[in-house]
Amino acid sequence: MAKLSYGQFLWRNLKRRSFRNVATVLTFAVVVCSVLIASFLTEGTSNSTRAGMTRLGADLLVVPQEYASNADAIIITGKPSTFFMNTTEMTKLQAVPGVQRVAPQTFIATLSASCCALPTQLIAFNSTMDFTVTPWLDQELGRPLEKDEVILGYQIKGTDVGQPIIFYGHQFKVAGILQPTGTGVDQSVFVRDSDAIVMARESVKVAWQPIEMNPGQISAILVQLEPGADVQQVSADIAAAAPEVSVITSNHLARKIDAQLASTVGALYLTAGAVTLISLPLIATVSTLVVNERRREIGLYRMMGAKKGFVFNALLAEALILAMVGALIGLVSAAAIVIIFNNTITVSLGIPFLWPGLDAVLLQTWWVMLLTVLLGALSALYPAMMAARSDPYESIRAGQK
Amino acid sequence: MIETNEVMKTYETLSGRITALDQANISIKDGEFVLIVGRSGSGKSTLLSILGGLTRPSSGKVMLNGKDLWAMNDEDLSEVRGSELGFVFQFPGLLPTLNTLENVMLPTMFCSKVEEDPSERATILLQTVGLGDKLDSFPNQLSGGELKRAAIARSLMNNPSIILADEPTGDLDVNTEKEIMDMFCRINKLGKTVVMVTHNQDLACFASRVLSMERGIVSEEEGQKCERI
Ligand SMILES: Nc1ncnc2c1ncn2[C@@H]1O[C@H](COP(=O)(O)OP(=O)(O)OP(=O)(O)O)[C@@H](O)[C@H]1O
Ligand SMILES: [Mg+2]
Repeated sequence: MAKLSYGQFLWRNLKRRSFRNVATVLTFAVVVCSVLIASFLTEGTSNSTRAGMTRLGADLLVVPQEYASNADAIIITGKPSTFFMNTTEMTKLQAVPGVQRVAPQTFIATLSASCCALPTQLIAFNSTMDFTVTPWLDQELGRPLEKDEVILGYQIKGTDVGQPIIFYGHQFKVAGILQPTGTGVDQSVFVRDSDAIVMARESVKVAWQPIEMNPGQISAILVQLEPGADVQQVSADIAAAAPEVSVITSNHLARKIDAQLASTVGALYLTAGAVTLISLPLIATVSTLVVNERRREIGLYRMMGAKKGFVFNALLAEALILAMVGALIGLVSAAAIVIIFNNTITVSLGIPFLWPGLDAVLLQTWWVMLLTVLLGALSALYPAMMAARSDPYESIRAGQK
Repeated sequence: MIETNEVMKTYETLSGRITALDQANISIKDGEFVLIVGRSGSGKSTLLSILGGLTRPSSGKVMLNGKDLWAMNDEDLSEVRGSELGFVFQFPGLLPTLNTLENVMLPTMFCSKVEEDPSERATILLQTVGLGDKLDSFPNQLSGGELKRAAIARSLMNNPSIILADEPTGDLDVNTEKEIMDMFCRINKLGKTVVMVTHNQDLACFASRVLSMERGIVSEEEGQKCERI
């Protein structure tokens, strides 16, 4: 070592005050981590709800009144259930002004499937009336679904396109797999209603608990509104026309999800706030010590011939390194927690989750990092300003007496 | 060469205005060893820090090696502090994050008018002050006397022409005090100007001239010389 380089000088300063620096880094890390997790969750959830509703392709979902929460669960988390209402409800809906099209669906929670240990949601749709799965089929397969073919949600494991899948002893063939949405759609299997009825009839022979499914019964009606129709108004009209049903809108779902997420996001922001609050007095007491120590140090640099610019740069560089390392650790742990515990988090919170695109993640990360670094810079500038305002001699004597 | 012209320093405090330095006109020639003595609070440190470009006077002029110190901008003044002046205080003022060798080398990071290899020069200086075996020690591992000697080595790093020392022996035992004073004598014999503040009148015998201060007023002290050791 012929000369003490600027880099060595900075590194020495960081290394020799390791306790304080580690504490600073950790504080930054915890705050960044909890803020980022909260924002990842919020963003991922709304992204997921959007994707789920788009996949359903409907403006409204109409279900029997007493099964409204079951329907919510099917869409939000994919918790399967079976329920029925009469097809005559469909005719009532068609008469409501603002309704353009309706399509029936039948929800069956399977108890016996080759793919899955857990019950799976079968969604039977009507090939002629459907306007949600069919456009996807046209686009991806270029043909309608044929006899005994199924489309799988993204999360259905253990089988692949072209392979067989058996429900209640009835063999189906996988025709395609949907893109992930993060919602219950990912855990559903789409079949044609004509095939589902055959399967239901066969289930009497093979299953201990056969499916009771009759041609006159459906579980839900998907509604597409006329362009410009008011969702609120149509929902109210439907409720009046068909008192036995409940109308589910994407707004309703989003609100329900928000409510489920609110306490968690609140807790995370609280953590960030608490850590900041707890560390504030700590940082403040340490800071007065540090500021005096810092001022003395700055005074000594100035005594040895350091110009104001050097002092400024050195302090800023040091604080920025600490803030950035802290923010980086926070970012990596937030991403790791969300990625590793993705399923646990979504299941235990009962929320749908779909990673927001990389650009959205980067944008949020960018903001949080920017704030952290600004904070770090501000904390560094305080002693620098204190020192710049007074004579070097006064700085050297700071806290000396 | 240091010359001051009507230098004043006043502090505004809650209990009124304090005149720490009152119209000081002093002149110190190259190669002199000047002591500044006086009671506590008489303004010695204030004078020294104004001479060294560390405290801006309220009024008056300080000429140092032909330069009007307090008419300079911060960059130039920093340059003068770094290259033409060396400081030693009562407290050693070493940086706790750097080891002894690095502490002594540090001034070269701000100005490097010395051509030699900084690490070699710092090592030689530390050997000269008797710390050749403490290069890798950190300040918290050194005794008070050792710290003081390291600070002296550091003050010489950029080969300044003037050394300003404020009570460098204040908290040392008699033997160590004498060692340190000997060191300053040797530095002075190398041709450097030494200006030293002290409480200890007995040390006057080391100096070529003694300035005495009382309530901010500087006056020349006569006689009181002893043989130089
Ligand atoms: N920053 C300041 N604000 C107000 N008054 C000050 C300040 N610095 C010094 N003084 C006052 O100026 C006077 C001279 O102080 P100075 O430190 O120069 O004395 P000194 O001779 O070095 O004393 P000592 O021998 O105790 O170090 C004192 O009365 C002191 O209280
Ligand atoms: Mg003093």
